Amino acid sequence: MHLGIFKITYNRTATHFMDDCFVNLGEEVILTLLQNSGTSKSANMAGERNPASCYLDERTFQLCCQLFLQHSETIQDGWSWEQIKGTDEGFMKKTVLMPVKPSVLHKQHEYSIQDENMVTDDIQANVEDETAGVQAVCEIHAVLRYEYHVLYSCSYQIPVLYFRASTLDGRPLSLEEVWSNVHPNYRQRLQQGPWDTLTQQEHPLLGQPFFMLHPCRTEEFMKPALDLAQAENNLTFLFITHPSSVLCQDTV
Amino acid sequence: MADDKDVLRDVWFGRIPACFTLSPEETTEREAEPYYLLLPRVSYLTLVTDKVKKHFLRVMKAEDVEEMWLEYEGTPLKWHYPIGVLFDLHASNTALPWNVTVHFKNFPEDDLLHCASNSVIEAHFMSCIKEADALKHKGQVINDMQKKDHKQLWMGLQNDKFDQFWAMNRKLMEYPTEEGGFRYIPFRIYQTMSDRPFIQKLFRPVSPEGHTLTLGDLLKELFPAAICAEGGWHQR
Repeated sequence: MHLGIFKITYNRTATHFMDDCFVNLGEEVILTLLQNSGTSKSANMAGERNPASCYLDERTFQLCCQLFLQHSETIQDGWSWEQIKGTDEGFMKKTVLMPVKPSVLHKQHEYSIQDENMVTDDIQANVEDETAGVQAVCEIHAVLRYEYHVLYSCSYQIPVLYFRASTLDGRPLSLEEVWSNVHPNYRQRLQQGPWDTLTQQEHPLLGQPFFMLHPCRTEEFMKPALDLAQAENNLTFLFITHPSSVLCQDTV
Repeated sequence: MADDKDVLRDVWFGRIPACFTLSPEETTEREAEPYYLLLPRVSYLTLVTDKVKKHFLRVMKAEDVEEMWLEYEGTPLKWHYPIGVLFDLHASNTALPWNVTVHFKNFPEDDLLHCASNSVIEAHFMSCIKEADALKHKGQVINDMQKKDHKQLWMGLQNDKFDQFWAMNRKLMEYPTEEGGFRYIPFRIYQTMSDRPFIQKLFRPVSPEGHTLTLGDLLKELFPAAICAEGGWHQR
Protein backbone atom coordinates (compact mmCIF):
# COMPACT_ATOMS: atom_id res chain seq x y z
CA MET A 1 0.00 0.00 0.00
CA HIS A 2 1.49 3.32 -0.91
CA LEU A 3 0.50 6.84 -0.04
CA GLY A 4 -0.10 7.68 -3.65
CA ILE A 5 -3.56 6.18 -3.66
CA PHE A 6 -4.55 7.46 -0.24
CA LYS A 7 -7.48 9.75 -0.64
CA ILE A 8 -8.46 12.42 1.77
CA THR A 9 -11.48 14.56 1.50
CA TYR A 10 -12.45 17.82 3.06
CA ASN A 11 -15.55 19.82 2.56
CA ARG A 12 -14.83 23.32 3.67
CA THR A 13 -15.35 26.13 1.22
CA ALA A 14 -13.57 28.89 3.12
CA THR A 15 -10.18 29.83 1.78
CA HIS A 16 -8.72 30.27 5.22
CA PHE A 17 -9.01 27.66 7.89
CA MET A 18 -11.76 28.59 10.21
CA ASP A 19 -11.43 26.86 13.48
CA ASP A 20 -13.57 23.89 13.10
CA CYS A 21 -15.65 21.71 15.33
CA PHE A 22 -15.68 18.13 16.48
CA VAL A 23 -18.53 17.43 14.06
CA ASN A 24 -16.39 18.22 11.07
CA LEU A 25 -13.40 16.49 12.54
CA GLY A 26 -15.45 13.38 13.16
CA GLU A 27 -16.98 13.42 9.70
CA GLU A 28 -13.68 14.01 7.95
CA VAL A 29 -11.73 11.39 9.80
CA ILE A 30 -14.46 8.78 9.46
CA LEU A 31 -15.15 9.62 5.84
CA THR A 32 -11.46 9.38 5.08
CA LEU A 33 -11.18 6.00 6.74
CA LEU A 34 -14.29 4.65 5.00
CA GLN A 35 -13.20 5.93 1.62
CA ASN A 36 -9.86 4.31 1.93
CA SER A 37 -11.29 1.01 3.11
CA GLY A 38 -12.30 0.29 -0.46
CA THR A 39 -8.88 1.27 -1.67
CA SER A 40 -6.92 -0.73 0.85
CA LYS A 41 -8.93 -3.89 0.24
CA SER A 42 -7.80 -3.93 -3.36
CA ALA A 43 -4.34 -2.56 -2.70
CA ASN A 44 -2.77 -5.56 -4.31
CA MET A 45 -4.56 -5.04 -7.57
CA ALA A 46 -2.77 -2.38 -9.48
CA GLY A 47 -4.89 0.72 -9.91
CA GLU A 48 -8.24 -0.93 -9.19
CA ARG A 49 -10.56 0.17 -6.46
CA ASN A 50 -13.47 -1.63 -4.83
CA PRO A 51 -16.61 0.40 -4.30
CA ALA A 52 -16.13 2.26 -1.05
CA SER A 53 -18.58 0.96 1.53
CA CYS A 54 -19.91 2.35 4.76
CA TYR A 55 -18.84 -0.72 6.66
CA LEU A 56 -15.43 -2.16 7.30
CA ASP A 57 -14.01 -4.98 9.35
CA GLU A 58 -11.57 -4.37 12.15
CA ARG A 59 -8.49 -5.40 10.23
CA THR A 60 -9.34 -2.99 7.41
CA PHE A 61 -9.98 -0.27 9.97
CA GLN A 62 -6.50 -0.80 11.39
CA LEU A 63 -4.87 -0.76 7.96
CA CYS A 64 -6.63 2.48 7.09
CA CYS A 65 -5.55 3.96 10.39
CA GLN A 66 -1.94 3.13 9.60
CA LEU A 67 -2.20 5.02 6.32
CA PHE A 68 -3.93 7.88 8.04
CA LEU A 69 -1.22 8.04 10.67
CA GLN A 70 1.56 8.06 8.12
CA HIS A 71 -0.05 11.09 6.55
CA SER A 72 -0.60 12.73 9.88
CA GLU A 73 3.09 12.25 10.60
CA THR A 74 4.04 13.92 7.33
CA ILE A 75 2.04 17.04 8.02
CA GLN A 76 2.64 16.90 11.78
CA ASP A 77 -1.00 16.75 12.59
CA GLY A 78 -0.47 15.00 15.90
CA TRP A 79 -2.43 11.75 15.59
CA SER A 80 -0.97 8.67 17.21
CA TRP A 81 -1.89 5.02 17.71
CA GLU A 82 -2.73 3.61 21.13
CA GLN A 83 -2.41 -0.14 21.36
CA ILE A 84 -4.32 -1.98 24.10
CA LYS A 85 -1.72 -3.98 25.98
CA GLY A 86 -1.80 -7.67 25.31
CA THR A 87 -4.33 -7.44 22.49
CA ASP A 88 -4.42 -6.69 18.79
CA GLU A 89 -6.82 -3.83 19.36
CA GLY A 90 -6.20 -0.11 19.49
CA PHE A 91 -7.40 3.33 18.51
CA MET A 92 -6.18 6.63 17.04
CA LYS A 93 -5.68 9.52 19.40
CA LYS A 94 -4.97 13.24 19.22
CA THR A 95 -4.84 15.98 21.84
CA VAL A 96 -5.44 19.61 20.99
CA LEU A 97 -5.02 22.71 23.12
CA MET A 98 -7.08 25.64 22.16
CA PRO A 99 -8.39 28.93 23.40
CA VAL A 100 -12.05 29.52 23.89
CA LYS A 101 -14.29 32.40 24.81
CA PRO A 102 -14.09 32.44 28.59
CA SER A 103 -17.80 33.16 28.85
CA VAL A 104 -18.40 29.61 27.71
CA LEU A 105 -17.23 28.18 30.99
CA HIS A 106 -19.37 28.16 34.07
CA LYS A 107 -18.25 30.69 36.58
CA GLN A 108 -16.86 28.72 39.43
CA HIS A 109 -15.33 31.56 41.35
CA GLU A 110 -16.30 35.16 41.70
CA TYR A 111 -14.27 36.97 39.16
CA SER A 112 -15.48 39.81 37.06
CA ILE A 113 -17.27 39.25 33.81
CA GLN A 114 -14.76 38.29 31.15
CA ASP A 115 -14.06 40.64 28.33
CA GLU A 116 -15.91 39.30 25.32
CA ASN A 117 -13.18 40.56 23.06
CA MET A 118 -10.38 38.90 24.94
CA VAL A 119 -8.11 37.89 22.15
CA THR A 120 -6.42 34.58 22.24
CA ASP A 121 -2.99 35.81 21.21
CA ASP A 122 -2.28 36.96 24.73
CA ILE A 123 -3.34 33.73 26.30
CA GLN A 124 -0.28 31.75 25.40
CA ALA A 125 1.96 34.39 26.96
CA ASN A 126 -0.16 34.61 30.07
CA VAL A 127 -0.27 30.90 30.65
CA GLU A 128 3.47 30.57 30.26
CA ASP A 129 4.33 33.55 32.40
CA GLU A 130 4.44 31.97 35.81
CA THR A 131 6.23 34.86 37.37
CA ALA A 132 3.49 37.31 36.47
CA GLY A 133 2.06 36.90 39.93
CA VAL A 134 -1.31 37.78 38.53
CA GLN A 135 -4.26 35.69 39.51
CA ALA A 136 -4.85 35.06 35.82
CA VAL A 137 -7.91 32.93 36.42
CA CYS A 138 -9.71 34.23 33.36
CA GLU A 139 -6.83 33.54 31.04
CA ILE A 140 -6.12 30.06 32.35
CA HIS A 141 -9.74 29.06 32.09
CA ALA A 142 -9.78 30.30 28.53
CA VAL A 143 -7.61 27.46 27.28
CA LEU A 144 -9.20 24.07 26.81
CA ARG A 145 -7.78 20.65 26.18
CA TYR A 146 -9.64 18.40 23.74
CA GLU A 147 -8.68 14.77 23.43
CA TYR A 148 -9.98 12.78 20.43
CA HIS A 149 -10.13 9.02 20.05
CA VAL A 150 -11.18 7.20 16.90
CA LEU A 151 -12.28 3.69 17.80
CA TYR A 152 -13.66 0.77 15.87
CA SER A 153 -17.20 -0.34 16.71
CA CYS A 154 -17.63 -4.04 15.98
CA SER A 155 -21.39 -3.78 16.55
CA TYR A 156 -21.87 -1.19 13.80
CA GLN A 157 -18.70 -2.03 11.86
CA ILE A 158 -17.70 1.58 11.46
CA PRO A 159 -15.21 3.94 13.10
CA VAL A 160 -16.64 6.09 15.90
CA LEU A 161 -15.37 9.37 17.37
CA TYR A 162 -15.08 9.77 21.14
CA PHE A 163 -13.71 12.90 22.76
CA ARG A 164 -13.37 14.64 26.08
CA ALA A 165 -12.67 18.23 27.00
CA SER A 166 -11.20 19.77 30.10
CA THR A 167 -9.73 22.99 31.39
CA LEU A 168 -5.98 23.16 31.83
CA ASP A 169 -6.29 22.45 35.53
CA GLY A 170 -8.06 19.21 34.77
CA ARG A 171 -11.70 20.08 35.32
CA PRO A 172 -13.78 18.15 32.79
CA LEU A 173 -16.28 20.13 30.75
CA SER A 174 -19.95 19.39 31.11
CA LEU A 175 -22.20 18.57 28.18
CA GLU A 176 -23.65 22.09 28.33
CA GLU A 177 -20.20 23.67 28.19
CA VAL A 178 -19.16 21.53 25.24
CA TRP A 179 -22.36 22.47 23.44
CA SER A 180 -22.01 26.15 24.13
CA ASN A 181 -18.54 25.96 22.63
CA VAL A 182 -19.96 24.89 19.31
CA HIS A 183 -20.45 27.68 16.77
CA PRO A 184 -24.17 28.37 16.22
CA ASN A 185 -23.88 27.42 12.54
CA TYR A 186 -22.59 24.00 13.43
CA ARG A 187 -25.13 23.61 16.17
CA GLN A 188 -27.87 23.93 13.60
CA ARG A 189 -26.21 21.47 11.29
CA LEU A 190 -25.67 19.08 14.15
CA GLN A 191 -29.34 19.09 14.94
CA GLN A 192 -30.53 18.77 11.36
CA GLY A 193 -27.79 16.49 10.26
CA PRO A 194 -27.01 12.85 10.53
CA TRP A 195 -25.65 13.05 14.06
CA ASP A 196 -28.42 12.18 16.44
CA THR A 197 -27.12 13.53 19.65
CA LEU A 198 -24.05 14.23 21.61
CA THR A 199 -24.06 12.13 24.75
CA GLN A 200 -21.75 11.07 27.50
CA GLN A 201 -20.63 7.47 27.08
CA GLU A 202 -18.25 5.14 28.82
CA HIS A 203 -15.15 4.68 26.68
CA PRO A 204 -15.34 0.97 25.78
CA LEU A 205 -11.60 0.42 26.17
CA LEU A 206 -10.62 2.83 28.95
CA GLY A 207 -13.80 2.76 31.04
CA GLN A 208 -13.86 6.54 31.53
CA PRO A 209 -16.55 9.09 30.64
CA PHE A 210 -16.20 10.56 27.15
CA PHE A 211 -18.54 12.27 24.73
CA MET A 212 -19.60 10.46 21.60
CA LEU A 213 -21.36 11.57 18.46
CA HIS A 214 -24.06 9.15 17.40
CA PRO A 215 -24.17 8.72 13.65
CA CYS A 216 -27.73 7.84 12.87
CA ARG A 217 -28.53 6.21 9.60
CA THR A 218 -24.83 6.00 8.81
CA GLU A 219 -25.32 4.51 5.39
CA GLU A 220 -27.74 7.22 4.38
CA PHE A 221 -25.27 9.84 5.49
CA MET A 222 -22.04 8.36 4.23
CA LYS A 223 -23.10 6.85 0.95
CA PRO A 224 -23.64 10.04 -1.10
CA ALA A 225 -20.37 11.48 0.10
CA LEU A 226 -18.54 8.27 -0.71
CA ASP A 227 -20.11 8.01 -4.17
CA LEU A 228 -19.18 11.58 -4.94
CA ALA A 229 -15.61 11.14 -3.85
CA GLN A 230 -15.33 8.01 -5.95
CA ALA A 231 -16.66 9.79 -9.01
CA GLU A 232 -14.15 12.59 -8.65
CA ASN A 233 -11.42 10.22 -9.69
CA ASN A 234 -8.63 12.25 -8.17
CA LEU A 235 -5.65 10.41 -6.94
CA THR A 236 -3.69 12.22 -4.28
CA PHE A 237 -5.03 14.80 -1.88
CA LEU A 238 -3.28 16.40 0.95
CA PHE A 239 -4.86 15.79 4.29
CA ILE A 240 -5.28 19.28 5.47
CA THR A 241 -6.12 19.64 9.06
CA HIS A 242 -5.53 22.57 11.24
CA PRO A 243 -4.13 22.55 14.72
CA SER A 244 -7.25 23.76 16.47
CA SER A 245 -9.73 21.74 14.49
CA VAL A 246 -12.29 21.58 17.21
CA LEU A 247 -13.48 24.87 18.44
CA CYS A 248 -15.92 26.92 16.48
CA GLN A 249 -15.12 30.52 17.06
CA ASP A 250 -16.71 33.63 15.79
CA THR A 251 -14.78 34.73 12.77
CA VAL A 252 -15.63 38.34 13.39
CA MET B 1 -39.58 -18.72 23.87
CA ALA B 2 -42.98 -19.75 25.27
CA ASP B 3 -41.38 -22.61 27.20
CA ASP B 4 -38.94 -20.21 28.72
CA LYS B 5 -41.63 -18.01 30.23
CA ASP B 6 -40.81 -19.17 33.76
CA VAL B 7 -37.17 -18.37 33.25
CA LEU B 8 -38.03 -14.99 31.77
CA ARG B 9 -40.20 -14.17 34.76
CA ASP B 10 -37.56 -15.29 37.26
CA VAL B 11 -34.98 -13.10 35.56
CA TRP B 12 -37.31 -10.10 35.38
CA PHE B 13 -38.49 -10.33 38.99
CA GLY B 14 -35.05 -10.93 40.49
CA ARG B 15 -34.42 -8.62 43.42
CA ILE B 16 -31.44 -7.59 45.55
CA PRO B 17 -32.03 -6.34 49.08
CA ALA B 18 -29.93 -3.22 49.65
CA CYS B 19 -29.20 -0.95 52.59
CA PHE B 20 -28.37 2.66 51.73
CA THR B 21 -26.28 4.64 54.22
CA LEU B 22 -25.29 8.28 53.93
CA SER B 23 -21.56 8.86 53.67
CA PRO B 24 -20.05 10.23 56.90
CA GLU B 25 -18.44 12.93 54.72
CA GLU B 26 -21.82 14.49 54.06
CA THR B 27 -23.01 17.40 56.19
CA THR B 28 -26.38 16.80 57.83
CA GLU B 29 -28.69 18.76 60.07
CA ARG B 30 -29.56 15.66 62.03
CA GLU B 31 -28.66 12.00 62.00
CA ALA B 32 -29.57 10.08 58.85
CA GLU B 33 -31.17 6.66 59.24
CA PRO B 34 -30.21 4.00 56.68
CA TYR B 35 -32.78 3.26 54.00
CA TYR B 36 -33.69 -0.26 52.88
CA LEU B 37 -34.90 -1.11 49.40
CA LEU B 38 -35.38 -4.15 47.15
CA LEU B 39 -33.62 -3.40 43.87
CA PRO B 40 -34.73 -4.96 40.58
CA ARG B 41 -31.79 -6.73 38.95
CA VAL B 42 -32.80 -5.72 35.43
CA SER B 43 -33.16 -2.01 36.15
CA TYR B 44 -30.77 0.90 36.72
CA LEU B 45 -29.78 2.51 40.03
CA THR B 46 -30.75 6.05 39.06
CA LEU B 47 -34.16 4.83 37.91
CA VAL B 48 -35.10 3.17 41.19
CA THR B 49 -33.46 5.27 43.92
CA ASP B 50 -35.64 8.38 43.95
CA LYS B 51 -36.96 7.33 47.36
CA VAL B 52 -33.41 6.99 48.62
CA LYS B 53 -32.64 10.52 47.50
CA LYS B 54 -35.79 11.95 49.06
CA HIS B 55 -35.08 10.14 52.33
CA PHE B 56 -31.64 11.66 52.74
CA LEU B 57 -32.52 15.11 51.40
CA ARG B 58 -34.80 15.48 54.42
CA VAL B 59 -31.80 15.73 56.72
CA MET B 60 -29.63 17.91 54.48
CA LYS B 61 -29.39 21.55 53.59
CA ALA B 62 -30.04 22.39 49.94
CA GLU B 63 -26.66 24.07 49.50
CA ASP B 64 -24.86 20.85 50.47
CA VAL B 65 -26.65 18.83 47.80
CA GLU B 66 -25.33 18.17 44.30
CA GLU B 67 -25.90 15.18 42.02
CA MET B 68 -26.37 12.01 44.07
CA TRP B 69 -23.95 9.16 43.43
CA LEU B 70 -23.52 5.73 44.97
CA GLU B 71 -20.49 3.81 46.04
CA TYR B 72 -19.68 0.34 47.35
CA GLU B 73 -16.51 -0.13 49.43
CA GLY B 74 -14.83 2.83 47.81
CA THR B 75 -15.83 1.98 44.24
CA PRO B 76 -18.24 4.40 42.54
CA LEU B 77 -21.17 2.42 41.12
CA LYS B 78 -21.79 2.90 37.41
CA TRP B 79 -25.48 3.60 37.17
CA HIS B 80 -25.51 2.75 33.47
CA TYR B 81 -24.83 -0.93 34.23
CA PRO B 82 -27.86 -3.04 35.19
CA ILE B 83 -28.16 -3.40 38.97
CA GLY B 84 -27.76 -7.16 38.82
CA VAL B 85 -24.47 -6.78 36.96
CA LEU B 86 -23.17 -4.30 39.54
CA PHE B 87 -24.06 -6.56 42.42
CA ASP B 88 -22.57 -9.69 40.80
CA LEU B 89 -19.44 -7.78 39.90
CA HIS B 90 -18.76 -6.14 43.25
CA ALA B 91 -20.63 -7.87 46.05
CA SER B 92 -21.86 -11.31 45.12
CA ASN B 93 -19.58 -12.98 47.65
CA THR B 94 -20.71 -10.90 50.58
CA ALA B 95 -23.66 -11.28 52.91
CA LEU B 96 -26.94 -9.55 52.18
CA PRO B 97 -28.15 -6.84 52.35
CA TRP B 98 -25.92 -5.06 49.87
CA ASN B 99 -24.49 -2.08 51.75
CA VAL B 100 -24.33 0.93 49.47
CA THR B 101 -23.02 4.37 50.47
CA VAL B 102 -24.78 7.53 49.31
CA HIS B 103 -22.96 10.76 48.35
CA PHE B 104 -24.15 14.21 47.40
CA LYS B 105 -20.88 15.93 46.68
CA ASN B 106 -17.45 15.40 45.05
CA PHE B 107 -18.98 13.66 42.06
CA PRO B 108 -16.25 11.38 40.62
CA GLU B 109 -16.01 12.91 37.15
CA ASP B 110 -13.35 10.47 35.99
CA ASP B 111 -15.43 7.40 36.83
CA LEU B 112 -19.12 8.08 36.48
CA LEU B 113 -21.41 9.39 33.78
CA HIS B 114 -23.76 12.15 34.80
CA CYS B 115 -27.46 11.37 35.01
CA ALA B 116 -29.41 14.58 34.93
CA SER B 117 -32.83 13.02 34.34
CA ASN B 118 -34.73 9.87 33.43
CA SER B 119 -34.46 10.73 29.76
CA VAL B 120 -30.71 10.16 30.01
CA ILE B 121 -31.39 6.65 31.34
CA GLU B 122 -33.98 6.06 28.62
CA ALA B 123 -31.55 7.17 25.90
CA HIS B 124 -28.87 4.87 27.28
CA PHE B 125 -31.24 1.92 27.57
CA MET B 126 -32.57 2.37 24.03
CA SER B 127 -29.06 2.75 22.69
CA CYS B 128 -28.14 -0.64 24.24
CA ILE B 129 -31.27 -2.22 22.75
CA LYS B 130 -30.39 -0.82 19.33
CA GLU B 131 -26.83 -2.00 19.50
CA ALA B 132 -27.98 -5.50 20.48
CA ASP B 133 -30.40 -5.57 17.55
CA ALA B 134 -27.68 -4.36 15.22
CA LEU B 135 -25.83 -7.53 16.18
CA LYS B 136 -28.84 -9.87 16.12
CA HIS B 137 -30.80 -8.67 13.09
CA LYS B 138 -28.65 -5.94 11.49
CA GLY B 139 -30.96 -3.49 13.22
CA GLN B 140 -33.92 -4.41 11.02
CA VAL B 141 -36.30 -5.34 13.83
CA ILE B 142 -35.70 -2.24 15.97
CA ASN B 143 -35.87 0.06 12.95
CA ASP B 144 -39.15 -1.48 11.80
CA MET B 145 -40.70 -0.84 15.19
CA GLN B 146 -42.55 2.43 15.69
CA LYS B 147 -41.63 5.12 18.18
CA LYS B 148 -44.54 4.10 20.38
CA ASP B 149 -43.20 0.54 20.49
CA HIS B 150 -39.83 1.83 21.67
CA LYS B 151 -41.65 3.85 24.30
CA GLN B 152 -43.53 0.77 25.44
CA LEU B 153 -40.27 -1.10 25.97
CA TRP B 154 -38.95 1.71 28.10
CA MET B 155 -42.17 2.21 30.07
CA GLY B 156 -42.33 -1.52 30.74
CA LEU B 157 -38.88 -1.36 32.32
CA GLN B 158 -39.49 1.89 34.15
CA ASN B 159 -42.79 0.71 35.65
CA ASP B 160 -41.79 -2.89 36.21
CA LYS B 161 -44.43 -4.27 33.82
CA PHE B 162 -43.30 -7.69 32.56
CA ASP B 163 -46.11 -8.20 30.05
CA GLN B 164 -45.89 -4.70 28.62
CA PHE B 165 -42.15 -5.09 28.18
CA TRP B 166 -42.17 -8.55 26.67
CA ALA B 167 -44.98 -7.75 24.24
CA MET B 168 -42.35 -5.70 22.44
CA ASN B 169 -39.18 -7.49 23.45
CA ARG B 170 -40.33 -10.82 21.99
CA LYS B 171 -39.98 -9.27 18.53
CA LEU B 172 -36.36 -8.42 19.34
CA MET B 173 -35.81 -11.96 20.57
CA GLU B 174 -37.08 -13.64 17.42
CA TYR B 175 -34.61 -16.27 16.32
CA PRO B 176 -35.23 -17.18 12.67
CA THR B 177 -33.63 -20.62 12.61
CA GLU B 178 -34.03 -20.90 8.85
CA GLU B 179 -31.77 -17.88 8.52
CA GLY B 180 -29.24 -19.13 11.05
CA GLY B 181 -30.83 -17.40 14.05
CA PHE B 182 -29.14 -14.27 15.33
CA ARG B 183 -26.37 -12.93 13.14
CA TYR B 184 -24.15 -12.42 16.18
CA ILE B 185 -24.83 -12.99 19.88
CA PRO B 186 -24.94 -9.72 21.86
CA PHE B 187 -22.84 -10.30 24.96
CA ARG B 188 -20.48 -8.52 27.30
CA ILE B 189 -18.09 -10.09 29.78
CA TYR B 190 -17.58 -7.66 32.64
CA GLN B 191 -14.44 -7.73 34.73
CA THR B 192 -13.18 -5.79 37.70
CA MET B 193 -9.46 -6.38 37.53
CA SER B 194 -8.86 -4.40 34.36
CA ASP B 195 -9.09 -0.85 32.97
CA ARG B 196 -11.11 -2.28 30.15
CA PRO B 197 -14.67 -2.37 31.43
CA PHE B 198 -15.86 -5.35 29.41
CA ILE B 199 -15.04 -7.70 26.59
CA GLN B 200 -17.37 -7.48 23.63
CA LYS B 201 -16.61 -9.20 20.35
CA LEU B 202 -18.43 -10.63 17.35
CA PHE B 203 -19.56 -14.21 17.90
CA ARG B 204 -21.81 -16.29 15.66
CA PRO B 205 -24.25 -18.72 17.32
CA VAL B 206 -23.52 -21.41 14.74
CA SER B 207 -20.11 -22.75 13.74
CA PRO B 208 -19.02 -22.78 10.09
CA GLU B 209 -19.76 -26.53 10.13
CA GLY B 210 -23.30 -25.88 11.29
CA HIS B 211 -23.03 -26.83 14.98
CA THR B 212 -24.96 -24.77 17.49
CA LEU B 213 -22.44 -23.20 19.84
CA THR B 214 -22.72 -22.84 23.61
CA LEU B 215 -21.63 -20.33 26.23
CA GLY B 216 -18.70 -22.61 26.93
CA ASP B 217 -17.60 -22.38 23.30
CA LEU B 218 -17.82 -18.59 23.47
CA LEU B 219 -15.72 -18.42 26.62
CA LYS B 220 -13.18 -20.89 25.30
CA GLU B 221 -12.67 -18.73 22.25
CA LEU B 222 -12.85 -15.25 23.75
CA PHE B 223 -12.05 -15.52 27.43
CA PRO B 224 -10.19 -18.76 28.11
CA ALA B 225 -8.94 -17.45 31.46
CA ALA B 226 -12.47 -17.96 32.78
CA ILE B 227 -12.14 -21.70 32.35
CA CYS B 228 -9.37 -23.38 34.29
CA ALA B 229 -7.24 -26.17 32.88
CA GLU B 230 -9.07 -29.10 34.47
CA GLY B 231 -12.30 -28.05 32.79
CA GLY B 232 -13.86 -26.52 35.89
CA TRP B 233 -14.96 -22.92 36.29
CA HIS B 234 -13.19 -19.99 37.92
CA GLN B 235 -15.36 -17.80 40.07
CA ARG B 236 -16.21 -14.69 38.03
